[in-house]
Amino acid sequence: MPMDAVDVVIVGSGAGGAPMALELGKAGFKVVVLEKGPWYKQDEFVHDEILNSRRNFFMPLPWDEPHLWRAGPDKPFSRTNEAWTANCVGGGTVHMSGFFYRLKPIDFRLKSELGAIKGANIADWPISYDELEPFYERAEEELGVSGNAVPHPFLEPRKKNYPLPPLAEHPVSLEIDKVCKSLGFHSIPTARAIATTPYKGRGTCVYCTLCGSYGCETGAKGSTLAALIPQAVATGNVEVRPRCMAVEVTVDEKSGNAKSVVYLDPEGVRQEQPAKVIVVSATAVESARLLLNSQSKRFPKGLANNNGLVGKNLLFSSFGQSKATFRVSKQKGTHPWLEAVAPFVNRSLQDFYVMPDERFGFRKGGTLGFMWAHPNPIFAAVGMARKGEPGIFGKALKDKLREYRDSRILEFEIYGEFLPTDDTTVAVDSNVKDKYGLPVAAITIKRHPLDLVMTRFLVERGEEVLAAMKPDRLDRVGTAGETAILQGGTCRFGKDELTSVLNKDCRAHQVKNLYVVDGSFMPTSGAVPITLTIVANSFRVAKGLVERMKKGGT
Amino acid sequence: MARQPPDATPEPSSELPPDADDPSRRVFVQRLTFMGGGVVLLGGGCKEAPKADAGAAPVTANRPQALTTSHLTFTNEDFAVMAAACERVLPKDEDPGALDANVPEYVDRILQTPQLENMKRNFVPGVAALDRRCQRMFKVGFAQATAEQQDEVLTIFKNSPETSGEARWYEMLVVLTLEGFLGDPTYGGNKGRVGWQLVGFTLVGDKTADPSKGYDGSKALMGLRCGTGKGC
Repeated sequence: MPMDAVDVVIVGSGAGGAPMALELGKAGFKVVVLEKGPWYKQDEFVHDEILNSRRNFFMPLPWDEPHLWRAGPDKPFSRTNEAWTANCVGGGTVHMSGFFYRLKPIDFRLKSELGAIKGANIADWPISYDELEPFYERAEEELGVSGNAVPHPFLEPRKKNYPLPPLAEHPVSLEIDKVCKSLGFHSIPTARAIATTPYKGRGTCVYCTLCGSYGCETGAKGSTLAALIPQAVATGNVEVRPRCMAVEVTVDEKSGNAKSVVYLDPEGVRQEQPAKVIVVSATAVESARLLLNSQSKRFPKGLANNNGLVGKNLLFSSFGQSKATFRVSKQKGTHPWLEAVAPFVNRSLQDFYVMPDERFGFRKGGTLGFMWAHPNPIFAAVGMARKGEPGIFGKALKDKLREYRDSRILEFEIYGEFLPTDDTTVAVDSNVKDKYGLPVAAITIKRHPLDLVMTRFLVERGEEVLAAMKPDRLDRVGTAGETAILQGGTCRFGKDELTSVLNKDCRAHQVKNLYVVDGSFMPTSGAVPITLTIVANSFRVAKGLVERMKKGGT
Repeated sequence: MARQPPDATPEPSSELPPDADDPSRRVFVQRLTFMGGGVVLLGGGCKEAPKADAGAAPVTANRPQALTTSHLTFTNEDFAVMAAACERVLPKDEDPGALDANVPEYVDRILQTPQLENMKRNFVPGVAALDRRCQRMFKVGFAQATAEQQDEVLTIFKNSPETSGEARWYEMLVVLTLEGFLGDPTYGGNKGRVGWQLVGFTLVGDKTADPSKGYDGSKALMGLRCGTGKGC
């Protein structure tokens, strides 16, 4: 028995779903937000590594709700919890580190600027940086981004500085600045979605050091849970339903429009919520899965998928990393900053975001972000113990733990362009079902070789910076990874309905009242963490939708 | 302890079932990825857990021995073996070891959480297998063996083929020991925060981040169940 229809149902309450809920609620439309995870209160965010990082507080268990993952179409799938983000109200913004970068104008027209790349399905975006710029400003304002937009050769156009002053930095940041200057690089402050002063009723950062992988117990982190959902609910028009798992989006067979979202409520009972407009924002992997699982006579291959593009051109972020270890007891004389205690480094390099020519084999590069190694001790210790032949236990392991106590580990991460390929996709596997009985997402990754050339180059540049600081050890973690919590591409937007799933308003070409507003819309990945871009785009899409709905449209 | 049944296969035998794409046994999975904090899940789901098996009744793994226990998961004999193994992973030296930190207590308690139901089914028989291997090699039970003998048996488990039951069991042992040594003390381990002192982790308790009074990690875990709100 369907419930009474509302104006809009939104599946997901993270970076994409929450801005839509806020804007639609403010405009007076009745909104229901379905969120598969629980609605945590701030005081449930405790610094317990076992609870937060090693069990199903945020991420589902891989045997309850697996993703299937394989490195290429000729490889076997294995079950994993890879490519999930937090399952809770606020989604991935709750456990993010909050590195908030904007894209750059070239990211919107990569193909036009750099030309086609063999084996990569890159496409220009149907909007420009200038069209998104006001919404970047709005997103930074709403979430409370702190930082300092210093002029540098690679700075994207922006009208204002960040709304909040930057976080206090560890003295190592100035050391990085010095080294970068001597190498001819431009180290720039990293903006963070972390409130440095009381902001919109939220608490300020207490420099607790446990940001990424944790929820913020003061509300300083600009999650949608802390920053947007309370505002949305306060409009009186938005109802958030936690622990509700979307099963399918149904279709009116006559009109071909989306009709309702069928979901399992917290008791596991099947419910149906009809709406005039349906917005899907469950991450690029899970949104594709929901659409592919929504099969009907009109859409036998899944909703909005009659051209077979849903789930294609999956994007992550190219990842590489190296770590510099400084032994405090040996180096405190020459490196007095080693004894300072402060969590934030907040330095980035974008000197290699776009290469001026082909001499290194690639043109589109990425961003390096410098930070202290995450302090989670179990995670660190398990990494030291390892397994198999090189694994250690006993005194050898304890010596490592003692060495760790005497170490400060400075590292960088790469956020590199991730080229879309034919064989990097999300499908559904009807033979493997999750605990709800729904076919799970099956992810195939076939990396473009240029990604690996590029990431290696960036890692080598980062290592030059670390090496110049004279650490005791410099360890390369890897150059061929992907950051699977940063997802896009599976419902790319574009002008041509034969080559894209969504139009420039992020509405499905084939379904006139269906929107997708997580990272799925992006035809190219950009080369920064994309959370801010998802939030900004969602504010942009919401503005258009509100205008159309006020005129009686969708 | 009663005499062990004779072994059907010669050394080195694999008496624990191999890994058949069972993620609950791949506890070392740490892909090259971005969240330095390491969202690394471990343990077993509660989906197929038979209710009769989920209670406090110790699993005896077909070992002919008395069903006496003062523990939640292990018989007294298995507990002693497991505790000895934990202590070899993190032995006491100039700094406290696994026993000082109450790690065996942690392992016994954490295996009662629903998330680790599958792991319990895999881990408990492995304790018996470790003991039998030690018996075969040195004619003495693991808990009574010398440290050198214990290390030799553990090394065999460690260096077994990656997907073998022995290698998986070793991984579980190490990860559970490190969790018990370095996890929140409310789970029963890390007694007196000796683990955190050893690695210089001082971030919990000196800021607002200290879990509030009355916080109990095990209870918080129990509250998560499988996330459906419906039980499993």
